[in-house]
Amino acid sequence: MNPTLRRLLAHRGALLGIAYIMLLAFTAAFAHLILPTDPLAQDLANTLDPPSPEHWFGTDELGRDLMTRAIYGARTSLVTALGAVAIAGAIGVPIGLVAGFFGGWRDAILMRIVDVLLALPGILFAMALIAVLGRSQAASLVAVGITGIPAFARITRAQVLSLRQRDFVTAVEAMGGSSAYTMFTTVLPNAWSPILVQVVILSSVAILLEAALSFLGVGIPPPTPSWGDMLRTGKGFLYEAPYYAVLPGLVLTLTILSLDTLGRTLARLIEDRQSAEDDA
Amino acid sequence: MTSYILRRLAQFIPVLLLASLGIWAMIYAVPGSPVGALVGENATPEQIAAITARLGLDQPLLAQYWRWLTAALQGDLGQSIQSREPVLDLIAKRIPATLQLGLAATLIGLLVGVPVAIASALKPNSLLDRILSAWSALALGVPTFWLGILLILLFAVHLHWLPSASAYIPFFTDPVRALANLALPALTLGLYISGIFSRFLRAALLGELLSDYVRTARSKGLRERDVIGRHVMRNAMLPFVTIVGLSLANFIGGTVITEAVFTYPGLGRLLIQAIGVRDYPLIQGCILFILAIYITINLLVDVLYAYIDPRIDYH
Repeated sequence: MNPTLRRLLAHRGALLGIAYIMLLAFTAAFAHLILPTDPLAQDLANTLDPPSPEHWFGTDELGRDLMTRAIYGARTSLVTALGAVAIAGAIGVPIGLVAGFFGGWRDAILMRIVDVLLALPGILFAMALIAVLGRSQAASLVAVGITGIPAFARITRAQVLSLRQRDFVTAVEAMGGSSAYTMFTTVLPNAWSPILVQVVILSSVAILLEAALSFLGVGIPPPTPSWGDMLRTGKGFLYEAPYYAVLPGLVLTLTILSLDTLGRTLARLIEDRQSAEDDA
Repeated sequence: MTSYILRRLAQFIPVLLLASLGIWAMIYAVPGSPVGALVGENATPEQIAAITARLGLDQPLLAQYWRWLTAALQGDLGQSIQSREPVLDLIAKRIPATLQLGLAATLIGLLVGVPVAIASALKPNSLLDRILSAWSALALGVPTFWLGILLILLFAVHLHWLPSASAYIPFFTDPVRALANLALPALTLGLYISGIFSRFLRAALLGELLSDYVRTARSKGLRERDVIGRHVMRNAMLPFVTIVGLSLANFIGGTVITEAVFTYPGLGRLLIQAIGVRDYPLIQGCILFILAIYITINLLVDVLYAYIDPRIDYH
């Protein structure tokens, strides 16, 4: 087994994080097969019921099962986060690759644009964009995705800059490899690990940002189940149904903590490996 | 020093210009006509005529932007669609509330975050360090809005000690009621800020504690308190101030969310309400204003940085 992977699995916090995320992703993906209930099915005779054997998380103001909604909310959340990270990576990684590989005026222009984007508070940018585009899942996904571009661009650029100095890259260029060939077949494959760490970290940032937007009432519009919206509605029933906002919030918090622990552990392991390589 | 500040200011101008261009262009990106977006659906013909004249909609786009920008720089941010009041007045009314919340939260963040960072940096990888690091991870990882809800459930719903929705009461008018209303939102935001402070100050301190000058200071018999207070802290402030500057964006996001949780009448809530009713002049005004504050604080952090580190050449 890959030594970094083995060390990761030896880390208790990271292992718990992986287990939780896998469980969440699995139940979210197969929710329609596993769960007997529909997240949109209303039962007006049983509204705001406390947790019970029939409804583990209780029911909401329309009698919908809160656990079912929390699990379908995971689907919304994970899909939005993955989409956002994909957008951020698809734009940010090429920017960093070109800026770091060519340097000069390309680097100056690209990184200046990235700096402007980095200078704007992400949530403010997302809210402005949604104010223009209107509330929808696509708008949230794009808004969250754009705020992630600078992180990918910077980390890729830093990685490419250090790889550029390595002998094997010089060798490929000396043998007549074109810029595109060297970039994509020699530099990029060796730059992957920090980029993948960034994927994990940004997923947690994206999930949090999407939930925050929904909580503020500008994210994914109801009735699509989303964690942020459940907390927003649940906040209105704190006296009648205190569990309403607590349990979906717990699911959200565990997701963020898991991804954050996983990301930081991976970052540390890769840092250790790189400094070990540099010493060798 | 003055020329350094001016130079930093010059670097911020492109960011502000580009951002203002984006904020201005919002109106043109909204489906329908910009006049419709600015005056709303129930506008009288006179209002439409006034807006058309103000924006100079028959002029080239660049001239329209220039007109908007010069008006904004003179404090004319237009008129709210909802209340028909000048946007600047609406914003000005909310500033003291947000300022009071921000200051109280920063104070809590410092009071909790700095001791946590010092305690864990002094004994790295000890049990205490691991507990405190886990605490920082929790402070940063638990979403502000969920923490706020939990605090309301405990202190307002369960114990009935504090109000569940927070009004803005100026501290110097009625300190007791002000604190009662401020306690939960300030704690919510403050704990998050303490997470940022403790995580990054710990990292900065750890880096410095390995330096030669620390060994020298210790071997010449300085008390640990002086080693930390006089030597390590001052050097660790540099990377720390940088990180705090970079975290400002998170502060702003945290304030907007905290105000929403506690229905606290600050600037963030004004923005959310404006988005809810599509009051575009107010949305533009709020975003422009928050951005200007953000950039100003960023600039102050830079100046502070130069002040802390005399090695930085700002001539």
